[in-house]
Amino acid sequence: MRRVLAGRVGVVSVAVLAVIALLAAFGPLLAPHDPLLQDPRAILAGPSAQHWLGTDNLGRDVLSRLLAGSTLSLVAGVEAVAVGLVLGVVPALLSVHLGRVVEWVSLRVMETFVTLPFLVFAVAMTALLGNGLQQAMLAVGILIAPGFYRVTRAAALPVATAQYVEAAVLAGASPWTVLRRHVWPKVVPAVAVSTASLLGASLVIVSSLTFLGIGITPPTPTWGGMLATDLQYLYQRPFGPFVPAALIVATVGACNGLADALRDGPSRRPARRKVVADVAAST
Amino acid sequence: MTATVVESTWANPAAVAGPARGGAVPAVAGAARWLLRTLALTVPVFLFATFLTFLLGAVSGLSPAGLLLGDAATPADVARVRAELGLDRPVLVQYVDWLSHVVRGDFGSSWLNGVSVSSQIGDRLSVSLSVAGFALLIAVVAGTALGVGAAVWRGTWFDRAVTVFCSVVAALPPFVVAVALIVVFSVLLPLVPSAGYVPFDQDPGMWLTLITLPAVALSLDAVADIARQLRTGLAGAYRENYVLGAVVRGLGPRRILFNHVLRNGAGPALSVLGLRIPMLVGGAVVTESIFGMSGFGRFAADGALRGDVPVVQGTLVVAIVLVLVANTIVDALLLRLRPAARRRS
Repeated sequence: MRRVLAGRVGVVSVAVLAVIALLAAFGPLLAPHDPLLQDPRAILAGPSAQHWLGTDNLGRDVLSRLLAGSTLSLVAGVEAVAVGLVLGVVPALLSVHLGRVVEWVSLRVMETFVTLPFLVFAVAMTALLGNGLQQAMLAVGILIAPGFYRVTRAAALPVATAQYVEAAVLAGASPWTVLRRHVWPKVVPAVAVSTASLLGASLVIVSSLTFLGIGITPPTPTWGGMLATDLQYLYQRPFGPFVPAALIVATVGACNGLADALRDGPSRRPARRKVVADVAAST
Repeated sequence: MTATVVESTWANPAAVAGPARGGAVPAVAGAARWLLRTLALTVPVFLFATFLTFLLGAVSGLSPAGLLLGDAATPADVARVRAELGLDRPVLVQYVDWLSHVVRGDFGSSWLNGVSVSSQIGDRLSVSLSVAGFALLIAVVAGTALGVGAAVWRGTWFDRAVTVFCSVVAALPPFVVAVALIVVFSVLLPLVPSAGYVPFDQDPGMWLTLITLPAVALSLDAVADIARQLRTGLAGAYRENYVLGAVVRGLGPRRILFNHVLRNGAGPALSVLGLRIPMLVGGAVVTESIFGMSGFGRFAADGALRGDVPVVQGTLVVAIVLVLVANTIVDALLLRLRPAARRRS
């Protein structure tokens, strides 16, 4: 954590993600209006004292819908990453330790997942299996699993063949001990970087799905779904898509920034020294 | 979106294959061996991917019985229709039967209107291929220009601008780019119609106009990714001793770039291109619905939402085949590009 905060990118990313996480946790409570309440007197209204960000085509308060939709939009992305983490890391560790058959099969399976035409498959799987958010998360999790698989395998493979591990096995270490003591410390940092960047990726896919109206039922607000509605009323509210789009972009950007900060560690540029000092002073 | 695909050597057989060994082996044998190896890696992927596709329909529990007979159907009626269509057989038997039709180009007919799925896909494929092909062109041309420029002028303002562009674009989902492009070029500056499609043979100018915005939206991610990979690869190649040797021998910068640096440093960018292709093909779902084009991505999404299983399976198989073919081409290019493999042929 300290390494991440040692760079400007890391600080900004963590700050943005913290704000967004707060939105997701408390957004629905902060909403000034009922996100589903329709006001026929204020349809597609511009920003006003009562509706800070205006209203949509049914006269619903845009700010309230954004806040209410934040939870769903983010939790879906996080859960998809959790699914991908399990489906990627576990087979990768098994492929390194359980011999050639497991290795061959898991490589082919992951290659297949990479070959699947991403969004079409996510759409098809979600819609055919019941068109719910759970199905969407499973589909997205499967699609991002190869990312975790590749990174874990790349980190675990050199360890498995290293001499000190051979020595440990000869000394009577159980496979579990080897995994915990030798493999795990190498795998965790690499997986942490992937988790951050794939969280960004899965947020993009989940918001693309909700944008298409897949995985959610209409009155429920999500950022992607709101963007889709705004698109239909562009001529009335040309700047309507701006706020939901900015929220999605900021979240994804912060995830990518966090991934970069995790990967690069402390600053490479001298200009960042000041931030280091500030953070050191505050901790 | 971008960091997920970098340097995935295991996913591409040519990179895993290692340098071609045995200088005495004729080129033909090398090509045959490559073909065999590619088949050995592609066929299992194709079988597994199509099996997943088929399984999706089988697990969904949807059947044409429900769609054909409506809500009033008795369980006996449903069972009878299922038996007529062979849906009561074991999944594996159904899969083999289905696959034997698929390889002959027969995807069955839509459960909803009975029209042949392959003919419906055929009608729509030209729309999607226009956009995806143009997006691929933009990705390769712009990505190469930016990546090579950044590597040649390392450390200058151009290099930094490319880096900033890449990290900004990495955070922009294609559908956000698409909406932004529509807002700017169709609503604020009414230059381009925001939606629709005209076939090339009807009006080439309009065709190009209408596919430009979707293609740009679809390609931006890939442009950034290729530029970044190319810059990293080329900058690495510039540090190699053979480049120093070439400079010492008095070769010009252009010759060094094209003969030494590009050939050795472009590999990772090319693999990224291969991994981007599924996204270009799959991205059609989003861009086509935003830009109101009735391509095959939208066909797939509509079919999926209505529970029309043959339509979904057919579009998925076509998309998978497109991806596999494109990846094989990229692998062949990679192999050709590698100097070690080339010297022996």
